[in-house]
Amino acid sequence: MSLAANSSQGVNPLYWPVQMRRNIGVRGLFLVILAFIIAYGILFPGLFSVFGFAKFTQSWFPLALVTMAQAILMLAGGISLAIGPLVSLGAVIAATTMTQSLGIAGGTAAVTLAGLVIGAATGLIVVKLRLPSIVVTLAGSFIIAGAALLILPRPGGTMPPWVSNLLAGGTPAAFGLLVLVVLAWKLYLATPLGLSLYAAGENPVGTYRSGASVDTALIAAYAISGLLCTGAGLFVAAQTGSGDPVIGQSFTLNSIAAAVLGGVGFLGGQGTMRGALAGSLLLSLMISVMFFLGFTPVAQYIAQGLIIVGAVALPQIRGMRK
Amino acid sequence: MNEAAGAKPTRSLGSILRSRPFLAFAVVALVWIVAGFTMRGFGAYGHLRYLIELSAVIGLVAAGQTFVVVTGGIDLSVGAIITVSAVGLPLFTWQADPTGLSAIVATLAMASAIGLVNGAGVAFLRVHPMIMTLAMATFLQGLLIIIAGGSAVSVQNELVQWLGNARPAGIPAGILLWLVISAATLWVMHATPFGARLFALGANPIAAQLSGVPVIATTIAVYAVCGFTSGLAGVLLLGMNGQGYVGIGDPYLLTSIAAVVLGGTSILGGSGTYAGTIPGAILLVTITALITVVNASPGWRSILFGALILALLLLSGREAARR
Amino acid sequence: MPLLAARDVSKAFFGNPVLRGVSIVLMPGRIHALLGENGAGKSTLINLLSGALPADGGAIEINGKAIAHMSPGEAQKAGIAVVQQELSLTGSLSIAENIGLGAYPRRFGLIDYPALAAGAKAVCERVGLNEPLSTPVGQLSLGRRQMVEIAKALYREPRVLILDEPTSSLSAAETKTLIGLLGELRRDGVAILYISHRLNEVMAIAEHVTVLKDGVRTADQPLAGTDAAGLVRLMVGRDPGDLFPHWQPATERTAVLTVTGFSAGMVRGVDLTVKAGEVLGIGGLVGQGQEELLLGLYGALPAKAASATVGDARELPRNVPKANAAGIAYIPADRKREGLHLIHSILTNIMLPTFSRVPALKPRSRSSERRTAEQLARRFTIKGDLARPAQALSGGNQQKVALAKWMPQDPAVLLLNDPTRGVDVETKREIYIMLRDLAAAGKAVVLLSSDTPELVHLCDRVVVLREGRISALIERQDLSEEAIVSAAVGVEPQKAAA
Repeated sequence: MSLAANSSQGVNPLYWPVQMRRNIGVRGLFLVILAFIIAYGILFPGLFSVFGFAKFTQSWFPLALVTMAQAILMLAGGISLAIGPLVSLGAVIAATTMTQSLGIAGGTAAVTLAGLVIGAATGLIVVKLRLPSIVVTLAGSFIIAGAALLILPRPGGTMPPWVSNLLAGGTPAAFGLLVLVVLAWKLYLATPLGLSLYAAGENPVGTYRSGASVDTALIAAYAISGLLCTGAGLFVAAQTGSGDPVIGQSFTLNSIAAAVLGGVGFLGGQGTMRGALAGSLLLSLMISVMFFLGFTPVAQYIAQGLIIVGAVALPQIRGMRK
Repeated sequence: MNEAAGAKPTRSLGSILRSRPFLAFAVVALVWIVAGFTMRGFGAYGHLRYLIELSAVIGLVAAGQTFVVVTGGIDLSVGAIITVSAVGLPLFTWQADPTGLSAIVATLAMASAIGLVNGAGVAFLRVHPMIMTLAMATFLQGLLIIIAGGSAVSVQNELVQWLGNARPAGIPAGILLWLVISAATLWVMHATPFGARLFALGANPIAAQLSGVPVIATTIAVYAVCGFTSGLAGVLLLGMNGQGYVGIGDPYLLTSIAAVVLGGTSILGGSGTYAGTIPGAILLVTITALITVVNASPGWRSILFGALILALLLLSGREAARR
Repeated sequence: MPLLAARDVSKAFFGNPVLRGVSIVLMPGRIHALLGENGAGKSTLINLLSGALPADGGAIEINGKAIAHMSPGEAQKAGIAVVQQELSLTGSLSIAENIGLGAYPRRFGLIDYPALAAGAKAVCERVGLNEPLSTPVGQLSLGRRQMVEIAKALYREPRVLILDEPTSSLSAAETKTLIGLLGELRRDGVAILYISHRLNEVMAIAEHVTVLKDGVRTADQPLAGTDAAGLVRLMVGRDPGDLFPHWQPATERTAVLTVTGFSAGMVRGVDLTVKAGEVLGIGGLVGQGQEELLLGLYGALPAKAASATVGDARELPRNVPKANAAGIAYIPADRKREGLHLIHSILTNIMLPTFSRVPALKPRSRSSERRTAEQLARRFTIKGDLARPAQALSGGNQQKVALAKWMPQDPAVLLLNDPTRGVDVETKREIYIMLRDLAAAGKAVVLLSSDTPELVHLCDRVVVLREGRISALIERQDLSEEAIVSAAVGVEPQKAAA
């Protein structure tokens, strides 16, 4: 998929075996997802039309992005409680700039910049001052949420209609975008800086002694994570056609749940991005399938709670049997 | 950093001055003195009493949260437990008991049971505390819709109303309740073997297990205690507010964690004390009050609040990376 | 000309001097041994030489030129590679990705996987690693990981190679491979600095020795003409005397722990009796189930037995508190990770097993805790203020704390997992005396050890495990290093019964 792999696919004895090994841990999850997709398809045959596929992937897309954002930080040995506010911030920036002063390009640039800068600043504080990320992002969540409220005190703003149509219309553009994001991530992981994120998250001291730049790898991870969040915000704004300073709220906890469902661990360097994406897909599918099965919101919440615990506990229970 | 965990027979003045609980108290005192002289009405006895009364709710939740955080865990379901307790209490009303005590006991038993389930999930199923309590919060959200159906409930229970409004000897009952819980919490943490086990578990779970600490029982107990104090906070909040509604407990999740951390308890577990959480809770309420006084927009309030927490952490809370 | 040298370097942590004016010179094509007790400053000196820490005073010279400030990355570029005692590996990355970390070959800014594979394959062959290069390191045993760590150092084609106790987790075969490899590197002109507690290993391969004691260099000389006793004298600053205490046969020998058909982890069908008043040794090659045997008996690992008598109980303890109640104590091998609470005070560490057993809400008495802890500190010669955190203690003193904390429980059976690994000679001797004293006081002492002389000189009987089964039970009169080693590798199978 990446350049390095393409250029040497035939002779490369390492890249593909390594990739295959990474699939081992998530095979079971892929099977569960397949079962859910089949169930979904039976309940709602429209899924397999272009329109149905577009709509489903659009409902999945923002969760996929924030789950990636959370998973990157968990791989880096941290966690973020500021995911939701960052999504809101991205949404309000987009809804207040794109149809006004800055235009679409300027608005996109503003959203991108906000995510990168806030992410990098968070990373800088965590890494350089050695504060636990959960605490920094807890304080940060108030600041970022406040900034979103300053930009747009109540729901409002507008998005250019054609952006909304492009991203959230009847074409699977969101899915295409997701594929691009995933490709970019694979490319990043194929760089020395990207791959050393795993090492820096799991064994920072050893990685430093190996001569790799731990601090840079971690701060870059925080910046990328921030970018993914505000990007998700832009998409949410396109979906709703306007901005809302608290629209991102549910994403903080859902991103953690999805990443953990996908097998990403809390100790740093554990898990894979494909797992995290699968986890977010599973969560989206679950919510949709329950909706089509006519679950009341009550039952949905209860089932969601049980499934998350069950999915995490299951390997543990199986391990105890052995 | 670990004065709470170890024995320090000879505490020098310097070590007391450097201790986090003392620093947090000092910051509170400083803010109160400065604000008292510069803002009209801030330093009035009634206003300060009101601030502490508000702090009591955070303080109660944060008591349980401190127990959990000391063992290296975290409880993200405290907000939901508060709401369930506040909204669920009226359901436990029996005609036969005019005092309303039975309803409170039943509510607290339910809250403790929820905590127990959290603890069982963490201890037996080895689900990460963040996930277990997060799932519990989602689960309770569903339960709440069944109980309340989205409407607010008003309180008829006399004892709850007394707890929320009475002032025996001029001191609000909520503050008295907080005092009792604080004394009990400090005693359990620092004067009993159970407390020593908590710190051991948080600092090094493997070594704690191999040293004979009953890991499963201890873990279940701390989450049950956290459920209990959250339930108590829910009851108090119901009494103070006069009514309970879905979402009433939400603001207390992040603030309880913030109070614990501001008080110097390590979020990684193994060191800290509730003696720091107490001023931490008062500080959070004071900051909120000050921000309200300056009459800023909600956005600025939130930014100020977050920035102040961050600044306080940077000032005193640099925590050496431990792995 | 020396490739790497330290001139008069000093380093202090929190005002405590760890190194005082130490010089060392590494010449090409020479294996240089660095000896010293735990806490003598060896690791700190390595960290200065490899750029992991800056020196407070003195200079680090590369090719005769003083380097002002050097990061690990710059040290690497200068051809300095270190095999750390605490591994620098990442479990979730593959062998090859670990080997290349920090020095990945690049192509258009991306990692050049084919080049990495070729380079990693070459170094893996040299150290005898034949696992597929895509294997995640997390799936390897500790010994194999150590070999990856060595391969990682070689991958950098070092001109200076520093090895910090590389053989402590290696099997005999792996050690042999490593020693052969060091010979090759020496011929290629690499300067090698070799740190080890195993004196016979040092005597066999090194040509030059530097000895540190309490942060000061006490010797720097060619190894030729020096004997082991002379080296020990240089390290501890006095005559070593007899390392092992005088052995006396136990008088009272009633069984306190008996299991038949015991299984735990890879341990299968083991019959074992532990008697009061004896030191029972457990030996074998690394990873033959010794640790699982101890943990299973201790209730820390799921275990089964056809029959079991533990104290008064007729079943295996199902968890650690039950094992403690039955009078069993366990002292882990990895004291930092499993034995102690490093950030907590020495006193709390010593009192923890007691806290675990008394009623949970029984009020603590600070004064009686203090008395108990002070008594134990005196008895076990643990130095320093009891209110200090355990991480301030040297490795040897930490090990004493890990042992002392069980004494208030008065356990009938002590399970010790390699208690002298990485401990200096002086403390080793103290621990040996304590173990014999405990046995003389009627305790049953079960000693798992990777140090064969220890088993020979200290134990009343030795059980040798091989592939999870007992391959021999050797009584005192038949004990010898040859007997243990041959049972461990499976030649001349001896009678297997207990």
